[in-house]
Amino acid sequence: MSLLRGLLGMELIETSVRLFLDFQEKLASLDSALILDVPLGVISRIEKMGGATSRGENSYGLDITCKDMRNLRFALKQEGHSRRDMFDILTRYAFPLAHSLPIFAFLNEEKFNVDGWTVYNPVEEYRRQGLPNHHWRITFINKCYELCDTYPALLVVPYRASDDDLRRVATFRSRNRIPVLSWIHPENKTVIVRCSQPLVGMSGKRNKDDEKYLDVIRETNRQISKLTIYDARPNVNAVANKATGGGYESDDAYHNAELFFLDIHNIHVMRESLKKVKDIVYPNVEESHWLSSLESTHWLEHIKLVLTGAIQVADKVSSGKSSVLVHCSDGWDRTAQLTSLAMLMLDSFYRSIEGFEILVQKEWISFGHKFASRIGHGDKNHADADRSPIFLQFIDCVWQMSKQFPTAFEFNERFLITILDHLYSCRFGTFLYNCESARERQKVTERTVSLWSLINSNKDKFKNPFYTKEINRVLYPVASMRHLELWVNYYIRWNPRIKQQQPNPVEQRYVELLALRDEYIQRLEELQLAGSAKLAEPSTSPASPSPMMPHVHTHF
Amino acid sequence: MEFSDLIRTRRAQAKLLRGPEAPPLRGTLCLTGHHLLLSPGPQATSELWLLLLRSVDSIEKRVASDSGTITLRCKDLRVLQLEIEGVEASLDIARSIEALSSLESVITSFPFFYRPKGLRLGDAWHFHPPERYYKRVARETNAWRLSEVNEDFSVCPSYPRAVIVPRSVDDGALARSARFRQGGRFPVLSYHHAPSGTVLVRSSQPLTGPQKRRCAEDEELLRAVLAGARPGARGFIVDTRSSQAAKQARMTGGGTEAKAAYPGWKRLHRPLERGQPLQESFVRLVEACGDLQQSTDSWLRRLEGCCWLAHVKEALSTACLAAQGMEREGACILVHGAEGTDSTLLVTSLAQLILDPLSRTMAGFQELVEREWIQAGHPFQLRCAHSAFSHARPKHEAPTFLLFLDCVWQLGRQFPLSLEFGEGLLLALFEHAYASPFGTFLCNSERERCLCEVRTRTHSLWSGLNQPKEQRKLRNPLYAPNPLAIWPSVELQSLRLWQGLFLRWIRPPEPSEVAWEKVWQIVTDKEKTKLSQPTVSASEPQL
Repeated sequence: MSLLRGLLGMELIETSVRLFLDFQEKLASLDSALILDVPLGVISRIEKMGGATSRGENSYGLDITCKDMRNLRFALKQEGHSRRDMFDILTRYAFPLAHSLPIFAFLNEEKFNVDGWTVYNPVEEYRRQGLPNHHWRITFINKCYELCDTYPALLVVPYRASDDDLRRVATFRSRNRIPVLSWIHPENKTVIVRCSQPLVGMSGKRNKDDEKYLDVIRETNRQISKLTIYDARPNVNAVANKATGGGYESDDAYHNAELFFLDIHNIHVMRESLKKVKDIVYPNVEESHWLSSLESTHWLEHIKLVLTGAIQVADKVSSGKSSVLVHCSDGWDRTAQLTSLAMLMLDSFYRSIEGFEILVQKEWISFGHKFASRIGHGDKNHADADRSPIFLQFIDCVWQMSKQFPTAFEFNERFLITILDHLYSCRFGTFLYNCESARERQKVTERTVSLWSLINSNKDKFKNPFYTKEINRVLYPVASMRHLELWVNYYIRWNPRIKQQQPNPVEQRYVELLALRDEYIQRLEELQLAGSAKLAEPSTSPASPSPMMPHVHTHF
Repeated sequence: MEFSDLIRTRRAQAKLLRGPEAPPLRGTLCLTGHHLLLSPGPQATSELWLLLLRSVDSIEKRVASDSGTITLRCKDLRVLQLEIEGVEASLDIARSIEALSSLESVITSFPFFYRPKGLRLGDAWHFHPPERYYKRVARETNAWRLSEVNEDFSVCPSYPRAVIVPRSVDDGALARSARFRQGGRFPVLSYHHAPSGTVLVRSSQPLTGPQKRRCAEDEELLRAVLAGARPGARGFIVDTRSSQAAKQARMTGGGTEAKAAYPGWKRLHRPLERGQPLQESFVRLVEACGDLQQSTDSWLRRLEGCCWLAHVKEALSTACLAAQGMEREGACILVHGAEGTDSTLLVTSLAQLILDPLSRTMAGFQELVEREWIQAGHPFQLRCAHSAFSHARPKHEAPTFLLFLDCVWQLGRQFPLSLEFGEGLLLALFEHAYASPFGTFLCNSERERCLCEVRTRTHSLWSGLNQPKEQRKLRNPLYAPNPLAIWPSVELQSLRLWQGLFLRWIRPPEPSEVAWEKVWQIVTDKEKTKLSQPTVSASEPQL
């Protein structure tokens, strides 16, 4: 904002894509024009500030609130009444839904040399996991989204549960979101199953079919006699949900299950928490009591709870050898966070660029995280109570993990920030609409471009040069406050003061390292090919590290 | 004195607990004059465990019916627990450790007995920083000379034998200027910034006193500093005390440079925390980091309450101010506080790291520490007598050097490619400053080191660190020479708690160490391919 002060002239060039503001610096200190490149999709709110009688510099103009932690304020000249036109045009294109206009993704004619829509194919992904097997089957019962309109067409369910069983279970789960498989452990065959809350209600209703169904899930794994249920909510919230017909699995009804609450708060708490983060970082960074103000936003505490929950899920499956059922209220916010993070900890495949795309596509997009409602794409109702930064919180958790395991992820920070930027931009169809059935009705895959097309056609930009591929390593991040930090490069990236006063050479060096790494691996493969003729056993593979030096206690 | 007088029990059976991650060790505990050893039984596979007694900061003993538990808190912030069979034995051992770890005598300390394989006495003591550095300055400018006025340490007991001073000022004037500065620390050259032709000079406070005394030679000396840069050059005096504290110092004989007496020089006050408050901040921080019971939601507030990061911020921003004065304003900078042996050195050494690419190399940084801290008379023995766990009443302890290392770590975090050394070197310097088998950090000044014959009778830390086998731990695998100044962001949002130091023994050592090992692997693999393909390297800095 401070950059914009003192500018005399402004020319607004609008396209339906982006807001290009071309400032002609007339104060003579700078020769180059400042170009601000803001996708219109990122705009949350546009307000006029000042009136015809306003006096004083910069008191008259437009104030634009963005979804990506910044506000833009444009000071305009009062004469000529150009503001109203500008306001109208901006409003029209930033909020197309209110004006019966298409979202920009449907107009975008960008071409890429790879098609991101082909990245995720559920059958292939389940096959990678070794499914179907003799305990789990793939069902097309939801082909026309009749069983559950917010679930994907293709589901994995216990072999022993019939389609009729599934229909009966659906009546007892909020919005028919029945327990279905998200992930299966390749060795011990324990599973992560996701669903919504049971419709217990005040009277404590029971449903024999649901109880039997959970027992069938438990029996697919014979190593442990109990099924573990993680209810993501705080205990009191789960109880309170009974008043509106929801609830949780009681001990009496589900003898063979153990239930734990994970104390993660709801979308409204998260929204308010992020709002507080914005208050302390924009437009001015809180100076005097930075750490205590950061603490009072509780943002990192929420991150900690989400990570802790996911660690418990992952640990139960991996070390506890118990199958796990995860739900919250509707099973599309906290549940998606927990299953996807646990899968990221357990399955190294999801830590590659394509694997991560598949994870997002599967656990978030296909399973009906309500992106349209949570983000408000093209919608002018900025105060909508349905908006919440749940997906951002998930990406933040991923970033925290990538900080703690710098070699475990194929992607870099830019990859995560790019995903977040296009979460709002409406340039791609990837995050549009609330569920698969709606996307199918709108023919999103035919009519829009996928974000993964952009990323996969230029993968090098998003690669972590230190990535070392490891199979079957479970990552347990440290979810203590001491080891979590605010993602400064994302939340405070608009503030020039936190930048070092030198162009960052890190990325350049990373690119060099990447190039060299590829070269090395290629050479090694050639050598191995040449050597394998002579040697029965090839030497160590390029990626595997040599055994660590034993830890030195002290020095002589 | 014989160590044996202090050793009451030589051996006992014991179990050693080294924190939640490492498995406990069982074996025979032995006490020698300088070490505590734990030798596992003959059938055990683990090696001999050894602890330098000097590194014990505090001891706590508890006895049960037939055994005792000793908790050793070390100066490198490690906490160890020994369970010893026999009440008498455990009490005797505790008392012996207490006595042996707090011996004051320098010449009976372990460095005088340490004779490692592969190192020769006298190696790496060839560092003569002022002389060496003067060679570099002389190539850049003719305005400075090497003076041996302090040859016998009589002019300034805390300066080295040779110092760099303006060419136009003779030794007699230096000696008179020294009498006008606390502890004889007259203004000497710290760094010559060749691109701007300006200099960084340091001293102690002038002894103006309540009568506002003046000293013609001191004024001449500072005039010569400006004249040496270029005619009409300006200067800033960065006083590391508040203006009020500086005024108060007059009552006890100190003070500041009067404006009228030093034309061309402008005084700026940038108060930096020092002495006991700094030590307390360190103690509080270590306490907070070790307190795993505390409710988690108050961690950030507590971290803020320790003020350590605020001290880091102040130190870095004062260093930036000094560096900016030279690079951007073309001004000469004089830094001093009161004694000129603590926060003064913090500012001058950090300013050099920001400006001088050579000081960011492995050799250059070691030389910087040697020249700006050890030779410049930072009283290591007094400041590092105890670390954060000691129950003894603090006298002269202050973690100024640790604060410096933390600031360097922050620079390295913000510029991950620009420092040739990594966190490992900084951790090693921290450890060795507090307790070391090497002689480098012994004593408080060059004069004391000469009296104790440290150079000829102990090994230098630098020769220990520069052995090939140590390199991987100490170097930054990502280093790429950066010829520019590195201006850090000093906002609190850009600073982090140095987890590698403060949480070193608390966090599981895994991911980051394993990760760095992998990074090394990738980078060295790359260098191999690089070597096999001759390419012209354009990355060498032209300096």
